Amino acid sequence: MAAWLILLTIGLPWLGALCVWGVSDRHPKAQHRLALAFAAAGGLVSFGLVLVPSSAVVLSIPMDGVFGDFTFVADGLGVLLAIIAAVIGGLAVIFSNDYMASEAQLGRYYALVLLFIGAMVGLVLTGSLLLMFLFWEITAFCSYALISFHNDDPKAVAGGVKALIVTQLGGVGLLAGAILSYTHLGSYQVNTFLAEAHTIPAGVLSVIAFGYLAAAAAKSAQVPFQTWLPDAMEAPTPVSALIHAATMVNAGVYLLARFYPAFEAIPGWKGAVVVVGLLSALLAAIMAMVANDLKRALAYSTISQLGYMFYAIGTGAVFASQFHLLSHAVFKALLFLGAGAVIHAVGTRDMRQMGGLGKQMPFTRTTFLLGALGLAGLPIANGFFSKELILESGATHGPVWGYLGMLIGAGLTAYYSLRMVAMVFFGKPEEPAHGHDALPAMRFSLFVLAFCTLTTWSLAGGVGQMMEGSLPSHHLHGSGTWAIVTEVFTAPTTGFALGIIALGLAAWHWRSSLAWLIKPLRPLHTFVASGLGFEWINQQVINGIKGAAAALRKTQTGQLNFNVAGVVGGLAILLLILVWGV
Amino acid sequence: MNLSPLHIVLVGVLGLLGVGLYGLLVSRNLIKVLVALQILVKAALLGFILAGSASQQIAVSQSLALTVIVADTVVAVIGMALAVQIKRRLGTLDVGMLSSLKE
Amino acid sequence: MWETILIFLMCSFAIQAIRAKRLLASALWLAGVSALLSILFYLLGAYQIAVIELSIGAGLVTVLFVFAISIAGEDAIGARPLIPLPLALGLVLLSILLLAWFVLPAPLEEHVADEASLSTALWEARSLDVLLQITLIFAGVLGLLGLMAEAKAPLEYPAADETSAQRDRELEALQRQSLGIEKEST
Repeated sequence: MAAWLILLTIGLPWLGALCVWGVSDRHPKAQHRLALAFAAAGGLVSFGLVLVPSSAVVLSIPMDGVFGDFTFVADGLGVLLAIIAAVIGGLAVIFSNDYMASEAQLGRYYALVLLFIGAMVGLVLTGSLLLMFLFWEITAFCSYALISFHNDDPKAVAGGVKALIVTQLGGVGLLAGAILSYTHLGSYQVNTFLAEAHTIPAGVLSVIAFGYLAAAAAKSAQVPFQTWLPDAMEAPTPVSALIHAATMVNAGVYLLARFYPAFEAIPGWKGAVVVVGLLSALLAAIMAMVANDLKRALAYSTISQLGYMFYAIGTGAVFASQFHLLSHAVFKALLFLGAGAVIHAVGTRDMRQMGGLGKQMPFTRTTFLLGALGLAGLPIANGFFSKELILESGATHGPVWGYLGMLIGAGLTAYYSLRMVAMVFFGKPEEPAHGHDALPAMRFSLFVLAFCTLTTWSLAGGVGQMMEGSLPSHHLHGSGTWAIVTEVFTAPTTGFALGIIALGLAAWHWRSSLAWLIKPLRPLHTFVASGLGFEWINQQVINGIKGAAAALRKTQTGQLNFNVAGVVGGLAILLLILVWGV
Repeated sequence: MNLSPLHIVLVGVLGLLGVGLYGLLVSRNLIKVLVALQILVKAALLGFILAGSASQQIAVSQSLALTVIVADTVVAVIGMALAVQIKRRLGTLDVGMLSSLKE
Repeated sequence: MWETILIFLMCSFAIQAIRAKRLLASALWLAGVSALLSILFYLLGAYQIAVIELSIGAGLVTVLFVFAISIAGEDAIGARPLIPLPLALGLVLLSILLLAWFVLPAPLEEHVADEASLSTALWEARSLDVLLQITLIFAGVLGLLGLMAEAKAPLEYPAADETSAQRDRELEALQRQSLGIEKEST
């Protein structure tokens, strides 16, 4: 039964991709409807996975020889992320029905989105390291292709290529880990790896652990690999909502959460994860405070919130990180889709040209506000509970400087969330009113996500128990929902956090009276806006590679004799090696 | 080490190999390059027949050598045609000038 | 004894083929190598291949070379080789000596007695090879025909004619437009 559910959840989107591509671009309405049908079907089927979480292998496709078996395991962690991917994927496709109504080449768009949904579900449900790498690469490809969807726009193409290069460099770490696991343990199975990780020599295990950390950091756009995500905002907004907010960037967090039991004992690993999370959370929050492009600000906030999840894993709170993943996926998708509705209406992404849109777009304003509440971590929305759990765990298990940093980050988050909402929806209208409110399909997705933002915290108990039962290596303790809620409300850290958040909100509201603080910081503005120096580092790396390639060009003379000399020289070297080896 | 006549032939194989490689390294005329290629292939043929003679499988080695001869002749034909066309279009058979694959 | 003489002569003919100043001489030295090679084949017991090698190597290929040389002409090409001679000699000698170090100690003894005849080996055991040879010959003939075809001059293609005419019209339109804009602004 579980095997069928898994096959359907992966297979329905993939079948949809083939159908939409086959229908051809001459029937755009049919393409919209087909994509919607398949994505919605996949989303609904994925709910069935909740019934069967277990750590056993439910589906195994034997491949010959060195590839091991391609297995699928439906445990709590995988089921949670699979449902998130399938459901938010469905909602993003529904949103696309209206958002992309006047675009061309829909076949390519929908096929890639559906391919991505299937691959993401496969990534989290698989039990073979090699198959995980394969799905990882498919998601990276879909992300690249969708960022560069408007392939006549050089910025989009550049953004796509950058995303591809940075995430693929991380992917090498993943492949290395899979191969090392095979050489030492003889198997690619994740369950085997988790159970027998302590038998691998410590040096090799460290290499695998830090390699996976690098792969996760690259995929989830953490420091120092975070430069690709803001540039990836050239993608159509539903793609940004799905891939770069709710699913693909979570793959890094998933990776660390799944392999946590194997790596937690390695000296320095947890500390490294905490540092990566802390730096990303703070630096991205600072950059979000000065961003003027709506989607870029949301991208920075994604990096920041993923930093919170990394921090949680670094302090040992795997459940809290996954719970925040759920909340973040929901409210971030909501924010992105709301931003999409705004951009669709106004035609620009620059927040300085928006303002006072709340009057023309009341529905969007309300839903966006709910998403922002989740982001800032205010008590009504699900973000509050998950963020408090993380901070609490950080205070009890993590280093003090980490906790303080994350606390400040929470304040900054509140600041820039309010800034975004105020700049877009409140204040004086900048231009004559021409914004229309969200179209019907958009409204549906926004409504569902807003509803979820207000209610997913109630699933905490269920999720916890599902994960406890089906992840034996992780030693989790799941409590009921009510226990979690009371825990959150009575912890002292909650008070601190709410205080800091209120401080952040107040800072924005009365920012004119803080001018004495802001003015001396003005010169830093350009430095922050240009990515805090990371873009410069990227550029230097690229220049270095180009210089090396140009220097090596001299060996390509194109002359026959020169090339033959290379051949004979190579033969001589080979023979020399053989002679000395013998 | 027993020095049988076959070892002399083996030396011959290596010698032809060396001459052919030297020809490829040093020739500037395209047709000379083709000559050097032919010498290399003759070295290979000799090697085949030598191996067949030494291991009592002359029939099999002759079949293989036949295939090699056919292939080599086709290569010579095409090479000649290429040389003629290059001379017609580009006016030169100098290998040093024929380097437009450089970039 | 005969083998030694044959090998020595063969290698020196080959060296002469490379060193010859005139291309025609090169081709003739190559024919000589083929002839000596076929005698060697006979001595080693490969009777049929000896005949084939003589007729193809010393016959067909030499005639091909002569044809090509007469069409392509003999131009004196700059004598300086692109790779300095000592380097070329050094590389080749190094590789060959290393190879010899590997290969020469092999135990080799002459056996001329054999089992099957060439025809059974060729037509039964290696029948796939024969199929490949036929395919190869066809491919060679097609390649030759394609290479030796007369090329059309660039503007003889009717499609090219049309696109170039179209481009001329567009260029004229653009020129008129820019001239018109200039007139308006002055």
